Amino acid sequence: MDIYLCSKRPSWLVDNRRMRTTSDFQWLLSAFVLLYLMNHVNSQRKETPYDLKCTTNNLQTWDCSWKAPSEAGHGTLSEFCIDNRSRSCYQLARTNIEIPALSRGDHEITIRSLQDAGSSTSKFILNEKNISLIPDTPEILNLSADFSTSTLHVKWNDKGSVYPRHSNVIWEIKILRKKSMELVKLVTHNTTLNGKDAVHHWSWVSDLPLECATHYVGIRCYVDNLLFSGHKEWSDWSPVKNVSWTPASQPKVFPQDKVILVGSDITFCCVSQEKVLSAQIGSTYCPLIHLDGENVAIKIRNISVSDSSGTNVVFMIEDNVCGTVVFAGYPPDTPQKLNCETHDLKEIICSWNPGRPTGLVGPRNTSYTLFEGFSGKYVRFKRVEVSTNESYHQLLFQMVPNQEIYNFTLYARNPLGRSQSTILVNITEKVYPHTPTSFKVKDINSTAVILSWHLPGSFAKINLLCQIEIKKINSVQELRNVTIKGVENSSYRIAVGKLNPYTVYTFRIRCSTETFWKWSKWSNKKQHLTTEAIPSKGPDTWREWSSDGKNLIIYWKIWAFFSEAYKGPEDFMNPISLALHDLQTEQAVGMGKGILLTWHHDPNMTCDYVIKWCNSSRSEPCLMDWRKVPSNSTEALIQSDQFRPGVRYNFFLYGCRNQGYQLLRSIIGYIEELAPIVAPNFTVEDTSADSILVKWEDIPVEELRGFLRGYLFYFEKGERDTSKMRDLESGRSDIKVKNITDISQKTLRIADLQGKTSYHLVLRAYTDGGMGPEKSMFVVTKENSVGLIIAILIPVAVAVIVGVVTSILCYRKREWIKETFYPDIPNPENCKALQFQKSVCEGSGALKTLEMNPCTPNNVEVLETRSTFPKIEDTEIISPVAECPEDSSDAEPENHVVVSYCPPIIEEEIPNPAGDEAGGTSQVIYIDVQSMYQPQAKPEEEHEKDPGGGAGYKPQMHLPINATVEDIAAEDDLDKTAGYRPQANVNTWNLVSPDSPRSTDSNSEIVSFGSPCSINSRQFLIPPKDEDSPQSNGGGWSFTNFFQNKPND
Amino acid sequence: MNEWAGRVRDLTSFPLPGPLCLLMLLLPLLSPAAPISPAGPISQAYSLAVYMQKNTSTLLQTYLQYQGSPFSDPGFSAPELQLSSLPPAAVSFKIWHALDDGERLSHAQGAFLALTQHLQLVGDDQSDLNPGSPILLAQLGAARLRAQGLLGNMAAIMTALGLPIPPEEDTLGLVPFGASAFERKCRGYVVTREYGHWTDRAVRDLALLKAKYPA
Repeated sequence: MDIYLCSKRPSWLVDNRRMRTTSDFQWLLSAFVLLYLMNHVNSQRKETPYDLKCTTNNLQTWDCSWKAPSEAGHGTLSEFCIDNRSRSCYQLARTNIEIPALSRGDHEITIRSLQDAGSSTSKFILNEKNISLIPDTPEILNLSADFSTSTLHVKWNDKGSVYPRHSNVIWEIKILRKKSMELVKLVTHNTTLNGKDAVHHWSWVSDLPLECATHYVGIRCYVDNLLFSGHKEWSDWSPVKNVSWTPASQPKVFPQDKVILVGSDITFCCVSQEKVLSAQIGSTYCPLIHLDGENVAIKIRNISVSDSSGTNVVFMIEDNVCGTVVFAGYPPDTPQKLNCETHDLKEIICSWNPGRPTGLVGPRNTSYTLFEGFSGKYVRFKRVEVSTNESYHQLLFQMVPNQEIYNFTLYARNPLGRSQSTILVNITEKVYPHTPTSFKVKDINSTAVILSWHLPGSFAKINLLCQIEIKKINSVQELRNVTIKGVENSSYRIAVGKLNPYTVYTFRIRCSTETFWKWSKWSNKKQHLTTEAIPSKGPDTWREWSSDGKNLIIYWKIWAFFSEAYKGPEDFMNPISLALHDLQTEQAVGMGKGILLTWHHDPNMTCDYVIKWCNSSRSEPCLMDWRKVPSNSTEALIQSDQFRPGVRYNFFLYGCRNQGYQLLRSIIGYIEELAPIVAPNFTVEDTSADSILVKWEDIPVEELRGFLRGYLFYFEKGERDTSKMRDLESGRSDIKVKNITDISQKTLRIADLQGKTSYHLVLRAYTDGGMGPEKSMFVVTKENSVGLIIAILIPVAVAVIVGVVTSILCYRKREWIKETFYPDIPNPENCKALQFQKSVCEGSGALKTLEMNPCTPNNVEVLETRSTFPKIEDTEIISPVAECPEDSSDAEPENHVVVSYCPPIIEEEIPNPAGDEAGGTSQVIYIDVQSMYQPQAKPEEEHEKDPGGGAGYKPQMHLPINATVEDIAAEDDLDKTAGYRPQANVNTWNLVSPDSPRSTDSNSEIVSFGSPCSINSRQFLIPPKDEDSPQSNGGGWSFTNFFQNKPND
Repeated sequence: MNEWAGRVRDLTSFPLPGPLCLLMLLLPLLSPAAPISPAGPISQAYSLAVYMQKNTSTLLQTYLQYQGSPFSDPGFSAPELQLSSLPPAAVSFKIWHALDDGERLSHAQGAFLALTQHLQLVGDDQSDLNPGSPILLAQLGAARLRAQGLLGNMAAIMTALGLPIPPEEDTLGLVPFGASAFERKCRGYVVTREYGHWTDRAVRDLALLKAKYPA
C-alpha cells in the first residue's frame, strides 16, 4: 500500500505543470495578435514613430512608449501631443512618457519626431481599453518556518496605497522544493485593497517535514479593478525566498513523536549525510523518495491505529540507524452518559463514558475539564493510569453553597481534537445517599422498637424517604416507607411499631430523598428479639370424662407466641352431656390433607362448636386434637399433620350451649381411602352336586383402610394346579363374577354348577380406595347321587331278570339238559381221597394235607354221589363263612369227586401263573387256584380247602354247590360245568384267577355282599364283573370314584 | 534483518560523564585496617547476582515486547546501540583477566550505579509510553531494586576487602527530557540489555572472588 502510494506523487506534479504551461502560451499568442493589428492600423510606415504602447501599474498614470523612426538617430527630440479639448504637448528627448490616466473614450495622440532632416508625425488613437494594467512585482517581506509543524509563514505588503480603493487583488504563491526547485504548490490568495499599504500573511503546512529539503516561496499578483476596462496582467514573480534546515552531524528522522489521525497520510524523512539503505514502518518496508543529498522520505497513506507505545518508523543507514515514533489515534469522542449526582449534598460526582477509545495513552491521552456555568468553577480530570474501570470516568465537584442548579460542561481534549458534553441538573433531585451505617435497634416495648442509623450528608434542607425491611422468621418480609426530616448531624432515629412481642425480627434500612432518584444500598441486617408480653388470652381447653366416668380429663393447648385465632370461652363449663343415644354415625371422606365437615346452623348453639377427633382404633377416651369453631360457622376444614391416609378417624362435633357442650354428630372418616390390604377370610360351608355355599368374615377396620363398598366374587372351573384366574378384571367369559354390594351379606350360594367338578373361587373386598387382594379356594362339587343309584340299579335289574328267565328255562328243560350235558356218572364211594379230605376239613390247612400224602398217580378211583345241592345253596347265601366247615364236612365226603393227581416235585409251591401255564398240566392249575386265594380270605379258604385244596379232579356234581352265589351263575354252572369239566376251560380260569389287586378288592366286596366262599363259583361269577371294573373306573362313575370323593370333603 | 548495522555512540547526545570514575579507583589502596572476612558479603552478592541473572532475559524480552515492531520482532538485536552514559559490559577477556579484584569491583560498582539511575529513567519513559502495562513497569522497578541491592552488597565486599568505596555519582547528568519516543525506546533497550550483560559479568566477577575467599 505504502509503496505504491509513495511512488505516485511525482507524476501528479508533472501533469500540473504541463497544464499551466499550455494556458500561458495561449494567452501570449492572443496578446501578440492584438498588438500586431494595432501596429498595422496606426503606423503604416517605419519612417514615422510607431508601436505606441501604454501600460499602467496604478491606474493613475499611464506609461506610454513608442519606437522612433528607423532613420532617427540617438538623442532625437520628440513631441507627444494629446489631442483633447486643451491640447497638451510634451517635448521629449526619449521615446516614452508617463501621462496621467486619460478619461474613457478615444484620444488622438500625435507623436512628432523632430529630426535633423525634418519631422515625421504619427497619429495614434489611445483608448483605456488598449492600456495594460500590470501591477508592480510584489516582494515577500518575510518567510519563516515552524519546523515542528512543518508550516511556512509568508508575509508581504500589498502596496494598497497606490491603487484605488476596493480593488480586488489575487495573489499567487508558489512553493518550490529541493534545489531543483520542483513546484510542489501553487495557490491563489484573494485580498481587497483598501487604499492603504497592508501586510498579508499566508501559512502553508508542508506534507514533507521542512527539515528534509529546502523550500522556496515566490509570489505575484493580479489587480482586478472593475472600473478599468483595459487589459489586466499578472505582475512578475517576486524573487524567491527559501527556508532550509541546518543538519546536525547525526542523521535524524522527521517528524518526531507526531500524533496523527488514524487513516491520514504522513511523510517521514531522514536527514542524513550517509546513504540510507531502507526504511520501514513497523515491520513494513517502504520505497524511498530521494530528496537533496542523501536525504530520503517515505510516504505513509491511511495509517492504522498505533499500539500504546506508538508506531516505529526506522531508517537503516550505511552504518547507522535512526527512527521516530508516530502515534496514530482518534480525537476524543463526545463524553457519553454524562450524569451528575451526589451522595451527601456536599460533593457532586459527575461520571461519564469516554466513548470510542482514542488509541492514545500517556501524555497524549484525553484530558477532561468539568466546567460549571453558573459559578464559573471548574475541575480537571486527574488521570489515574491504573484505573479501576477504564470504561467509566468520574470527577468530583465541590458544591457551591446555596446553589441547587448546576450547568456542567465537560470538555474533552487530546492532540487530535476536542469534544464536549453538557448537563443541567437540580442537585437536590439527584441524591443517591450513602449506605446507612451504625444501624441499631432498641426496644420501646414489646411491640415497638427504635431504629437508629447514621447517614452522612447535608440533608438539613430536604426530607429523606427511607424504607425499612421487617422480616419475621418463616414469614413474608414487610416493607415500610417513612419520611424523615433531614438533619445536619447525620444521625437518624425512627420508631417502628405494630410488632409482635417476643418475636425475632430482622431489620434493615435504605434511604432516598423525597424527590426520589435512587435508593441507597441496604444497610447491614440487624436481628432483634422483641420483649415478652402478657399472654393475650388463656389456653384453648377441652375436657372429657375418663372411661370409668370418675375422672375428668382436661386438655389444653399452648399458644404459639401470637395467634390471631378467635377467642373461645374463657371459663370452664359443665362437662359434656353426651347425647349419643339417638346419634347416627356418619361417614366422611376427606380431600388431600384435610377433611371438610359441614353442619346446619343451630341457633341454640350460642358459644361455639368444638370438633374433636381421634384415631378410631384407639381406646376411649381418645383425643388426638380438637378445634373450636365460631358458632356462626357451618363448616370446618379439619387439617392436621397427624392425619394419615387409610386410617379411620372418629370426629365428634359438639355444640356449645350455656349449660355445656352437647355432642351433635359423630362422624367416622378417612382423610383418604385406600384399598384393603387383606382379603376376606372365606370358607365353603356346604357343597352339593350343583351348588356351593360360601361364607366369609369381616375384614378388621385397620386392614380395611376405607369404607367397605362390597365384595367381588369370582368363580370358574379349574383345578388347583391349572388356575387360570390370573387376570380377574379382563372380563373373560369363563370367569363368572358376582358383585356383592350389600356389605352386610356374609354368605353366598353359587348355584347351577356341574357335579363332581373342581371350581376355583376367588373373593376380594373393595373400598373407594381400590380393590383389596384376592383370596382363592378350589372346591369340587359332589356327585349326582340319584344318577348314581340309577346307574347301579339298572344293570343289576337287567342281570336279575336275565338270570330268572334263564333259570326258569333251565328248570323247565332240566331233563333235557341233564341228558345232553351231564349224563350220570357213578359215585366213587371207596375213594381214599375222599376220606382224606374229610380229615383235612376237620383239621388244619390244606397245604399240610398235600404234603402228607404223596400222590399215587396210578391209583385213580372214581366215585359217584348224587348230592342235595339246592339246600346247600340256601345256607351258603345266609351265612357264608361260619357254616362253611359244616357244610363242607357234610357234603364233601359224599359229593366231591377228587382226583388226586400231583407231580411229586411240587410241595409248598408258591403260585406262579407263568410257570403254571408253561407246565401246561391241569393238575397244577388246581393247586394254584387254592394257593392264590389262601392269604386273602382265610376263613373261607379253610372251609374251601377241602374242595379246592384236595382238588385234583373235581367231581362235577360238587360244582353247583360252590357256584351258588347267584342263581343265574349257579344254574349256568349247573348247565355248563357240572360233572366233567373240559380241560380246555382251565386256561380261561387260569387267566382270570390271578387277578390284579383290584379284583381282590372286588372279591372282598363280594364277600361283604354275601357271596359264596366257593372259589369255583366265584370264578364263574366274578370274572365278568372284573372285566367291567376297569371300564367303570374310567367312566362316569364307579365305586372307587364314589369313595374317592369323600376325602375331599 | 533486525540486526541493526548502525552504531549509535550517542543516542541521547548528552555529554560524556567525564573521565570514568573507575580510573580513580585503579589505585588499590592497601588499607591498613585489615578486613574481617569478605566471604559472607561475597557469597551474599554472588547469590543475588545469580538470582538477578535468571530474570535479565525475561526483562529484556518483556521490554522489547512492549515497544512494537521492529523491537518486538523475534530475534531483534542491535548490539551496536550504546549509551555514552552507561559503560558497556563487553570487555576483552585479556583486559578483564588482567584486572585485579578492586578494579573489577569498582567497574561493576560504577556500572550498577549507572544502571540503577538508568532503570529509573527507563521506568519513567515507559510510564509515558506504556502506562497500561503494569507488568513491564513492575519488572523495571524490580530490576532497579535488585541493582541497588547488589550495589550494597558490593560496597560491603569492598569494605571487607579494605577497598575505598567510590562516591555516588550522577552518571546521567542532565537528563535529556526532550528525548524522542524513539530515543527513549532505544535507550531502554540498551539499558535492559546492558543490565543483563553487567549481571552476567558480575556473576563471573563474584565467582572469582568467591573462589579466592572461600567461606
